Amino acid sequence: MDLNIRRKSTKVPLTGSLVETYPHDLQMYKIPPIEDITLQEFENLALERVTLLRSLATATTLKGLRMYSEEWTDYVIGELRTQGLKYYAKLCEKSSCATTEADLQARRKDHIAHFILRLAYCRTEELRRWFVARELELFKMRFATMRGEAIETFFKLNNLCYTSITDEEKSEIIHYLRESTPHPNIENMKFYKVKFYEVLDLVKMRKVYLSGGYAYIAHKDFISVLSAQYRTQLKQSLAVACHHLGEIEQDERLVSLLKGLHQSYSGNDYSSAKAVIPIENLDSFAVKSFPLCMRQLHEQLRVAHHLRHGGRLQYGLFLKGIGVTLEDSLRFWREEFTKLMDLDKFEKQYAYNVRYNYGKEGSKKNYSPFSCLKIINTTVGPGDCHGCPYKHCDVGILKNRLQGYGFDTQAIGEIIDITKKGHFQVACSKYFDAVHHSDLGLGINHPNQYFEESQKIAKGDVKVEIKKEVKSAPVKKEVVDELDEMDFDEVM
Amino acid sequence: MVGHYDENMLPEMLPIYYTRLFPQNIFCRWLTCGSSPQPLSNRELSFTLADDVYLRYLSISNQKELQTLLQKKCPHKLDIGAVYNTKPSIGRHDAVVLSRELVFDIDLTDYDEVRTCCQEAKVCEKCWKFMVIACEIIDKTLKEDFGFQSILWVFSGRRGIHCWVSDYEARTLDSPGRGAVADYLCLIMGGDNQNKKVHLGSDNLHSSIRRALTIIDKYFEQLLQDQEFFSTSDRLDKLLKMIPDETLRSQVQKNLESMPDSSLERWKTFLSLYENYTRESGNNSRKIRYLVEEIKIQYCYPRLDVNVTKGFNHLLKSPFSIHPKTGKVSVVFKPSNAKNMKLDEIPSIYSLLDDSAPDNAQHETNMRTAVKNFQEVVFSLEKAEAIRRKNDANMSIEF
Repeated sequence: MDLNIRRKSTKVPLTGSLVETYPHDLQMYKIPPIEDITLQEFENLALERVTLLRSLATATTLKGLRMYSEEWTDYVIGELRTQGLKYYAKLCEKSSCATTEADLQARRKDHIAHFILRLAYCRTEELRRWFVARELELFKMRFATMRGEAIETFFKLNNLCYTSITDEEKSEIIHYLRESTPHPNIENMKFYKVKFYEVLDLVKMRKVYLSGGYAYIAHKDFISVLSAQYRTQLKQSLAVACHHLGEIEQDERLVSLLKGLHQSYSGNDYSSAKAVIPIENLDSFAVKSFPLCMRQLHEQLRVAHHLRHGGRLQYGLFLKGIGVTLEDSLRFWREEFTKLMDLDKFEKQYAYNVRYNYGKEGSKKNYSPFSCLKIINTTVGPGDCHGCPYKHCDVGILKNRLQGYGFDTQAIGEIIDITKKGHFQVACSKYFDAVHHSDLGLGINHPNQYFEESQKIAKGDVKVEIKKEVKSAPVKKEVVDELDEMDFDEVM
Repeated sequence: MVGHYDENMLPEMLPIYYTRLFPQNIFCRWLTCGSSPQPLSNRELSFTLADDVYLRYLSISNQKELQTLLQKKCPHKLDIGAVYNTKPSIGRHDAVVLSRELVFDIDLTDYDEVRTCCQEAKVCEKCWKFMVIACEIIDKTLKEDFGFQSILWVFSGRRGIHCWVSDYEARTLDSPGRGAVADYLCLIMGGDNQNKKVHLGSDNLHSSIRRALTIIDKYFEQLLQDQEFFSTSDRLDKLLKMIPDETLRSQVQKNLESMPDSSLERWKTFLSLYENYTRESGNNSRKIRYLVEEIKIQYCYPRLDVNVTKGFNHLLKSPFSIHPKTGKVSVVFKPSNAKNMKLDEIPSIYSLLDDSAPDNAQHETNMRTAVKNFQEVVFSLEKAEAIRRKNDANMSIEF
């Protein structure tokens, strides 16, 4: 547990009464716990926090709720209650600085569990990214539920001192503040001046007034500053923890548990295929077994004999994942591209990228096919036709395409309605059912998972007549499949 | 005179160009400053040789080494990469990227869906105006909003422009930071399956968007006449598809189709239809509150290649490198002068090295101006770096 205790030992270790140690519901987790706990408690705390983090992910992906919206928070807290994690529900519902025994115990568990998961999730870049993204969501959600007094205490406890700009300075720029800050009542708010890189999420969304490299933020925007600091600190600590893994893993009892946590949540990344798929069948697969995002790329490639970089990457990796060999891939792209360009140009400019996708060039990494989340959050620019069709298509165009495929009006109506509500993956699942004349309502999280599910039906492993009977186990695992690639904060 | 240019002559001409005309001294000073506090030798250079042979992870420690390397390899194209924690030739894949200029790449091919004069690799004076607007908007944003000062603008050699920000804060900005700056600047989003690519919502417009619109307005009517955005039924159709409100759309369609072809007249009619419609429908038109602004932005606002900006170690063509296909020099220009640039007056290696070429005198003058522009930016960067180091030294004494 004392992963970087040597470095931190200059700080006051956590001793004394719980009141001193845990004065506030919300923590920045700067100092690791040093008390002794039983293995049983260690394991329980770890699993409970994983459940908590997972419910955050589920709220966003499977439920399609807008992050930090009221429904989103309600879902998470409800989920915690049903899972029997009352102490987390309490911490999340209304962060405060009360000092009852229950409060203190909850904070202690929160603290220890956070540090246990650091050990489980520091192992790979992907795990780290997933963990940081979830912890940040948790942090922001809890900050958002805090009341005025609790916020002030939190700032004091964490030595966060900022001075607001003077009234004169404010009145000079009040016009711009009003234009660029999305808060009502700008007149009565105090404003603070911070460097623009402290509030990147606000910069990204153009929700702050910038001038001369400084961002002018209102009090309630401090969550951006805090979460940026928290993120940096967490990323660094994870890197440090990773270096010290060797020492911790001398205790074999911990190794299996920590690794087990990791394994049950990293799932399949589809970076290597089980079967070999001949490219001659791609046209029929595109119709029967490809999700719409891949079908449209395939059709575009056949029509235009060209795809731009983003499309080649998204489709190329997908093909690798379903089992198209490197040789076949090269042949497939060459045959299409050379209808427009000469062979020499293809070999020089494009063949490299195909080999690169298979880990044969450059950093020689075996790249994983993109998950739904990565595709949904990808940048799609003029001339591009990759991305998620439910997100990156005008509804009219989507509708025409589906009609062109000959779906019945009711199915199209359903897909379009769900698309309009912004539940892209649910729309994809409806598309799956429309193609397969099924009623499975699968949770689709990865185009390659879509393909595998479709193949199961084609081979008769799954009977289409089974209605609504989705086995819970695989679905749960799939939830996790796509999580390793995503990083909501970078998207927001 | 690009027509006279023959790619086969490059191997002969390039060594002379690199020795006589390439501003080696200023180039090295720029890169040295831009690599500090790491030494110049930790900066990656990459060469493209004849027949697209690619050399990566090269580096130099001083001007003399640059000259030797250029003569020995005779690169057809010169790219600049990131600053590593060690000499890139030693570290290779294990080296860690420490810094790199914040860069922007704007290419006219990304305007193909709006420009009507040229497509793909072609470029003319008419579509160059898109670059003028892009340069002005980005330059202002970088200076006024982000407070950057050392900003270098470079013609990419064929159909676009590059921008290099060398301020210390910009160079050391991490990936999320670069992503945020890119997204702050990026208003046009969506692929071929989305007709309307700009969504400004219905709340107040951010100050930076208002400023961009003032800049666009200076050029909009001229561009409208040059490009004739709405003159044919296909082009008109694109405009109609951007109008989300059905009633307004059919009004516009009916009126504009029966008008003469002139895009400017059609635009004016559209504006008055829009104004009448929003006045009459009051609150119902909140959804299309910024429709006019959205259209202007979709047609004129800079289209960045965001991946170049977001990537920490994306290679980008060096200033004063020759474009192997056009022979043109990647000249440095002043953003205030972008609108006066004439494409055929941009020096090419051919006319620079041929005394008898008709453009020789003018190209030489323009080459000198370009070097002078480069110098100005580098001198001010050197001053800023000196001040920064002095401040850093003072800080460390205090502790």
